[in-house]
Amino acid sequence: MIISIALKEFYNNLVSARFAIGFLLCLVLVPLTLIVSINDYKGKLREYESQKKEAENSLQVRVYSKLHPEVVRPLKPLSIFTRGVSYNVGSKVKILLGEKPMLSSGGSLVRENPFLNAFFSMDFITILAITLSLLALLFTYDSCSGEREQGTLKLVFSNSLGRAKFLLGKVIGVCLTLLPITLFCYLLAALVIILSPQVSFSVMEWISIGVLFVVSIIFFGLCMMVGLFISCRLRSSVTSIIVCLFIWVLFLFILPNLSTYAARSFINVSSREKLDLALQEIDSEFNSKCDQHQKSMEEPPYGMWYWNYWGGEYGDYEEAGSPDLVMKYHWQLNQFTEPLRIDYADKKWPLQKSYLEELDRQRKFAERLSLLSPSEIFRLAASTLCGTDVSAHYSFLERTREYREEFIDFFKNKKIFESYQYFTRQPPENLMTLDEIIRVRSGGLVNNQQELSEWQRLNKDGFSVLFKVDIPGSHNEDYEPLDLSDMPKFNWQQGTIAGNLKKCLDKIGMLVSAGVLLFFLSFVSFVRYDVR
Amino acid sequence: MLLEIIFREICHNVLSLRLHISLILTLLIFGVGTAAFVRNYSGEREEYNRWKVEFIEKNRKLAESSLTRLAVGRQNLILTPRANAFITDARGKYLPNRFEFSGYNVFGFSVRPGGANPYLSAFEELNWMFIIAIIISFAVFLFTFDTISGEKELRTLSQTLANPVPRGTLLFGKYLSVILTTLLMLVPGIGLSLIILLVTGTVAITTETILEITGFLFIAALFVICIASFGLLSSVISRSSKVSLLIALTIWLFFVVIVPNTAVFWTQSLFPVQSVESVQSKIQQAFLDLEKNAPDGSWSSSGNNPFLPQHELRANHQTNRMNSQMNIMNAFYNEMFRQFEQARMLTIFSPVSVFEYLSEAVTGGGYVRFQKVWRDLHAWQTQLLAYFKEVDAKDPASPHWYNPYEYFSTTRKGANYGEVPVFKEKAPTFRDRFSSAWPYLLITVLYTAVAFFLSFVLFLRYDVR
Repeated sequence: MIISIALKEFYNNLVSARFAIGFLLCLVLVPLTLIVSINDYKGKLREYESQKKEAENSLQVRVYSKLHPEVVRPLKPLSIFTRGVSYNVGSKVKILLGEKPMLSSGGSLVRENPFLNAFFSMDFITILAITLSLLALLFTYDSCSGEREQGTLKLVFSNSLGRAKFLLGKVIGVCLTLLPITLFCYLLAALVIILSPQVSFSVMEWISIGVLFVVSIIFFGLCMMVGLFISCRLRSSVTSIIVCLFIWVLFLFILPNLSTYAARSFINVSSREKLDLALQEIDSEFNSKCDQHQKSMEEPPYGMWYWNYWGGEYGDYEEAGSPDLVMKYHWQLNQFTEPLRIDYADKKWPLQKSYLEELDRQRKFAERLSLLSPSEIFRLAASTLCGTDVSAHYSFLERTREYREEFIDFFKNKKIFESYQYFTRQPPENLMTLDEIIRVRSGGLVNNQQELSEWQRLNKDGFSVLFKVDIPGSHNEDYEPLDLSDMPKFNWQQGTIAGNLKKCLDKIGMLVSAGVLLFFLSFVSFVRYDVR
Repeated sequence: MLLEIIFREICHNVLSLRLHISLILTLLIFGVGTAAFVRNYSGEREEYNRWKVEFIEKNRKLAESSLTRLAVGRQNLILTPRANAFITDARGKYLPNRFEFSGYNVFGFSVRPGGANPYLSAFEELNWMFIIAIIISFAVFLFTFDTISGEKELRTLSQTLANPVPRGTLLFGKYLSVILTTLLMLVPGIGLSLIILLVTGTVAITTETILEITGFLFIAALFVICIASFGLLSSVISRSSKVSLLIALTIWLFFVVIVPNTAVFWTQSLFPVQSVESVQSKIQQAFLDLEKNAPDGSWSSSGNNPFLPQHELRANHQTNRMNSQMNIMNAFYNEMFRQFEQARMLTIFSPVSVFEYLSEAVTGGGYVRFQKVWRDLHAWQTQLLAYFKEVDAKDPASPHWYNPYEYFSTTRKGANYGEVPVFKEKAPTFRDRFSSAWPYLLITVLYTAVAFFLSFVLFLRYDVR
């Protein structure tokens, strides 16, 4: 009997306008969304390739001071299905001695034109949630109230048919209708992906999509139960559909925005500028300590005199061709400043950590509030399954912090700070005194600093006399990049399917329990339903 | 007759469940949205004031130490939080809202991270525009989808038309009643929002704010009229209210989801701009060309001797570098502006998007504000440079070789910060706003007229049996 009712329901739905329009809607929306998502993914891929190239270039340095390895988080092809936070947070981290990695940078914008960020675009999972939840509600809103209005409900129950069987038959019938549509959406998505030359999925990714399909079914099951429950509670189908649609708009369009906006407004996060200012203060303290130390050191007798000096924004520098005493001075200075730089990075970390905790508190508030909406639970579960959620990104950032420690250990073990190679590639034994440099460079025209000053005064010129003869090895560019084969390599193990599934079990559990509860409530309501 | 129909329909609507639910939802969102705005705005204001004090203090010190350092120092200007953002934030947080400039140039713009949390997904603020564009438009479709087809199913339509009631009058009466019911529903929500704003005193309600609110209410009414005509159309297309509902939902999804969400894709495919990499390589190439042609000593400098002859070469070289970089960048920026405007043109198929742009124009936020600041900042930078050159000309210790990035060859004297021209953001003028709004106004009117005309024609041919 249940099967007969289910089949009748299925055939009825199949010939209805809602099935045709719903099917058409999916036929238009799914490929369109995927094409848009693949286009965004292509942009991200281009960006990833360029970041990877930059990361490789970051290792092409001649001195260790300039070595700031860049690590790039691999792009998840499954972000085509759901972006999660992966497109907001950037994917590049620079490993620095003076700062622990806090947030990833670079490529937080998919679009090269920043104005286009004012247009939001929904991913496949969001569109799927919108369309199929709507269809689930449209197929169930009149399950009981509609039949009552047509007078068929009392006719059905004039036979010896249990209400539970009838209800179960209805649910199975709607399932039979929705299942092919959902399957069709996924098959269409798979087809679009297979036909896209830029995207290639591994077996694991196809399995993840399979799991995603099952979670989608659970979500649509829950949406069906919402429709069924409302239908069993109300006596008019028009009232049912109105209530269903308002609930739909609330879940899909209002709650997601409300939760984020409320979190943004009511959970305070200090501004990034404020944090940067506090970090700058610590940097100033570090700089003044370095200055103090510098003053306590014995300066080269003729003051600072550089030949080829290239400074950087992270306190890094590279030099060549400078006099021996200047080089020795820097060599001594580095042994004090660089370990201190690492200590100051540790000093900065509590501030950075507290900022990160504030961000996380705000995020958690938004996430918890959004759990009121089944579509948001579904979206969160999907992003966990696809590895584009916050926890996956946190694990990447945590790994970059560990990698920084490995990097520092590498420096310490190799005694890099105590080496001239930290800032110059000129072998210490080849370094010349200032007077030697002046004599050789001027081709013997001037022999020392005093004669150079005299020459400058007489000729009203700067240093052109020192460009007469070049000294080999006095340019940074004269040296090959460092051999870094012994440097630790960055590796990050991305979450497995089982691990991701475990992480989102609570959310899947929420969807299932809410569905079961609603079915039970629908059953109770239907048992007491006045069929006349 | 028309009044009678309107009165009857309004009474029917007022008693309907859909109005009650819409009203509760609207009031709730207006209340929560305004409370969130008040809280958000206070925080942003506080943060902005802190930034402003630091900005002024930093510039005062720079100006007093050396006017050249103020002129060449690169600074960032951030925009004041908008007090009228409770009407619409106009996506201000996602559009470029930070400007980099010096006394020599306005270099560019970026999106300020500020208090933005990268772990939160992009969201729409629950302001008046959002409520009307999403909730009210949805409610209007729900009010209208069965206005004709529903009556046909109940067989009341044939009975009504058995009386000497012209079809046009009936349709127009129903149409007006939906509009009036919706506007009736909006009044308590907007009232509640205004009460919260007045009670908390966060936002000063000035004449300008009142004018902006009035302007917004006008375009909101126009939007409701437009959406109601589409709702009416969905009702007369079909003989069954269920099909009408599906058509209404499809139209709503098209307006709210499909058009805005695919805009970037179509824009990037149809109107591409050059990539950042290609712009960077053009700049690098321009720099290389300049290096090749620069006279010897163009990079020579001496911190102690401003009159070192090579400083003039260096100043010229740096100016040439800045000019060639800015020529390339300005061309790129213009491409960006054009692409963004084209993206907007692609979304005019959705009255919801059109309403969003109209709200932006009325409140002077978003892109209208960006363009105004961008233009004004360029004008102010010219003033600042002129002032700097005037002061520099009076200094005999300066060789007057203007170098946009360095302090070697211009005045090293300080100046009274009170005399330095300071940038003050001005709200977009009525002309700015109107020139941005009028095409969208025309489009809304056109859509309304077409949808209502189609509804009228279809209703004339409607089989009421």
